[in-house]
Amino acid sequence: MYSREQDLFKSYAAQKMSRRELIEKSLKLGIAAGTANFLLNSASTAAMAADFDWMKHKGKSVKLLLNKHPYADAMIANIDNFKAMTGVDVTYDIFPEDVYFDKVTAALSSKSSQYDAFMTGAYQTWQYGPAGWIADMNEYIGDPEKTNPNYNWDDVLPGLRASTAWSGVPGAELGGADSKQWCIPWGFELNNVAYNRKIFDKLGLAPPENMADMMEVAAKITKDAGGPYGIGVRGSRSWATIHPGFLSAYTNFGGKDLKQDGGKLRAAMDSAESKAFTAQWVKMIQDSGPKDWATYTWYQVGTDLGAGASGMIYDADILGYFMNGGDNKEAGNLAYASFKANPDAATPTSNVWIWSLAMSNFSKEKDAAWYFMQWASSADHGLFGARKMDFVNPVRGAVWKDQEFRDRIAQSYPGYIEQYEASAPDAKIYFTPQPLFSTLTTEWAAGLQKMVTKEVPVDEGLDQLAESVNRQLKSAGL
Amino acid sequence: MNHTSTAERIIRGLLLTLVLLFFLFPIFWIFLMSFQTNEDILRIPPSLFFTPTLENYVALISGRLSTVAGDLDIAFMRNLWNSVLLSSLSVGVALILGVPAAYAFARFKFRLGENIAFTLLSFRFAPPLLVLLPLSLYFSELGLSDTYLGLVWVYQLIALPLILWIVRGYFEDISPDIENAYRIDGHSWAKTFRKIAIPLARPGIAAASLLAFIFCWNNFVFALVLASADKQPVTVGALAFVTASGIQYGQVAAAIVLSVTPTLLLALYAQRYLVEGLSLGAVKG
Repeated sequence: MYSREQDLFKSYAAQKMSRRELIEKSLKLGIAAGTANFLLNSASTAAMAADFDWMKHKGKSVKLLLNKHPYADAMIANIDNFKAMTGVDVTYDIFPEDVYFDKVTAALSSKSSQYDAFMTGAYQTWQYGPAGWIADMNEYIGDPEKTNPNYNWDDVLPGLRASTAWSGVPGAELGGADSKQWCIPWGFELNNVAYNRKIFDKLGLAPPENMADMMEVAAKITKDAGGPYGIGVRGSRSWATIHPGFLSAYTNFGGKDLKQDGGKLRAAMDSAESKAFTAQWVKMIQDSGPKDWATYTWYQVGTDLGAGASGMIYDADILGYFMNGGDNKEAGNLAYASFKANPDAATPTSNVWIWSLAMSNFSKEKDAAWYFMQWASSADHGLFGARKMDFVNPVRGAVWKDQEFRDRIAQSYPGYIEQYEASAPDAKIYFTPQPLFSTLTTEWAAGLQKMVTKEVPVDEGLDQLAESVNRQLKSAGL
Repeated sequence: MNHTSTAERIIRGLLLTLVLLFFLFPIFWIFLMSFQTNEDILRIPPSLFFTPTLENYVALISGRLSTVAGDLDIAFMRNLWNSVLLSSLSVGVALILGVPAAYAFARFKFRLGENIAFTLLSFRFAPPLLVLLPLSLYFSELGLSDTYLGLVWVYQLIALPLILWIVRGYFEDISPDIENAYRIDGHSWAKTFRKIAIPLARPGIAAASLLAFIFCWNNFVFALVLASADKQPVTVGALAFVTASGIQYGQVAAAIVLSVTPTLLLALYAQRYLVEGLSLGAVKG
């Protein structure tokens, strides 16, 4: 490589010049944009390597199990830098999300040593961790022999660090005493409103500010927009129906999934707050939701917004982000707003989904795998992904402060940064961690379906649900 | 003699058209979708008129998929090849093992014969997920995880019982007198099997092979759990178009068209054998 060009990028990586100066000097040296990106990433990688023996595991190989996701794409686009810095070879299997967790569960439950590290959601670690399938990352993060001094774990947003740590005691607070760090947050989403500006402008509407407002705005869109329905939310018989908008708003009204009762867990879905909120939610779907709501997953909610079939969604902020680009009909017409369901609540309470990296306990190359994990969750890779790819939302404070990233988002995604900043301080996992999470939350979604189809009144449906949940908790000894 | 009146013929024609429309319309719609962009497909209301594009097929064949999140590498053609390889090899192995076994079960009475045949059939009853986890433990011990050999072996759970039971029924329908006559001429059992039994049972064997091929082709869960991404068949590969940043409906449709084509052609070619083979094998004289 040419030494003058290399020196230029090294100076930038060592923070001896501003980005503007770097661009100007690059132009003078006649460096093309693609080459500049490569040199910059290489220089950042070299800066990262300065104080740490990254070559310790040279010649080893790490195999990853990945979900087909923009986060994985961003990592693959940058992986050559990791290989060059460490001499560790990285191979991976990518599976689509529909079958991804079946593959993970099969690999872990059969104690397969095939994969060293894999992508997971935080909820899934409530099953994997206590079963002994994944490693406690505290053992690595706190070990200066194994962890780069510039790693700066504390830069990872505190709510996310806590949400991915758990003691394994059912019902114990996430991130509380004796917690094990079951995974490393990688990218995450919180839940707010994304809306179609064209429809809102045409009808003279403003983004909804609370639940009553949302019901009203959604009803008006359904009535007056000439085709599109008011609001897209998930409705399939899956735990994934509960965790985005529904749980965020439910929590905002003081609702809880479970409560402690004499050292045992008990259902809290039959509380007065829960019944009042659920009645509103059910009515909103009946009046202004999609016709075949009971089949709606992430994909249908997003696709309808992108195709102009819905006026707004109350779902993951990054779902609205993705729909504002590509060949979607409404690309460029979407905007974002923070949402606080309860007008009397102090702040929004957005439940979060965190794509994280976990290490298999059956891996034969744990140390090398940790090298990969700390590189993939570093600020440098986070910056690369946030500036050049769709690695949003970043999990590190340093990336959120990056002006280039903020400018890019502010330019093409109006209101996105504002909705994030309004909701982030209280964004965390609001479920009670316990190993029956998937079964009980799926039953919750099934109950919601019955209420929306008027098979059972809301109060009665929630009483039945609580009764069934209590029975299952009891039989599992929880 | 034809007693059908004109009215009856018209009603029959109408009903047949309705039934055909009902069953073929989804396939026709998918075929049309495969020539449309995502934007055309998601138009409200849907329309039969659009500017056809080959870009979905180009993306599949070239292995580059353009999505909202940028370009992605896809391995659909490799998935298609894996399906062809796994299904053909599995049916081949099942034929080599199953046809002689079917003949033995049909012609000879031996101790525990029925029990063994039933045990083989019972492989079809077991839910795949029930056997998969123990299997994956054994496979990793034996070094068969993530190998074509291992997958072909597991696919025998699908193909072998099917071939054995269908072909057995067929052998039972062929009169043993022909074989006996041939044996009286001084030929061995093995030669009788090769020269008389197999040629007579050929339609049944073809039908069973075709069915076993289709069942293997449609299998999803075995390869998903037991193999890496590079050995996945088309059933798993087609899901790659459902991404976090949206569903690529056009490419899903093109993938369906491409993946249905080999089995459809095979089924059309062997349709005669399929009907004849199945009906003859199933009815006892």
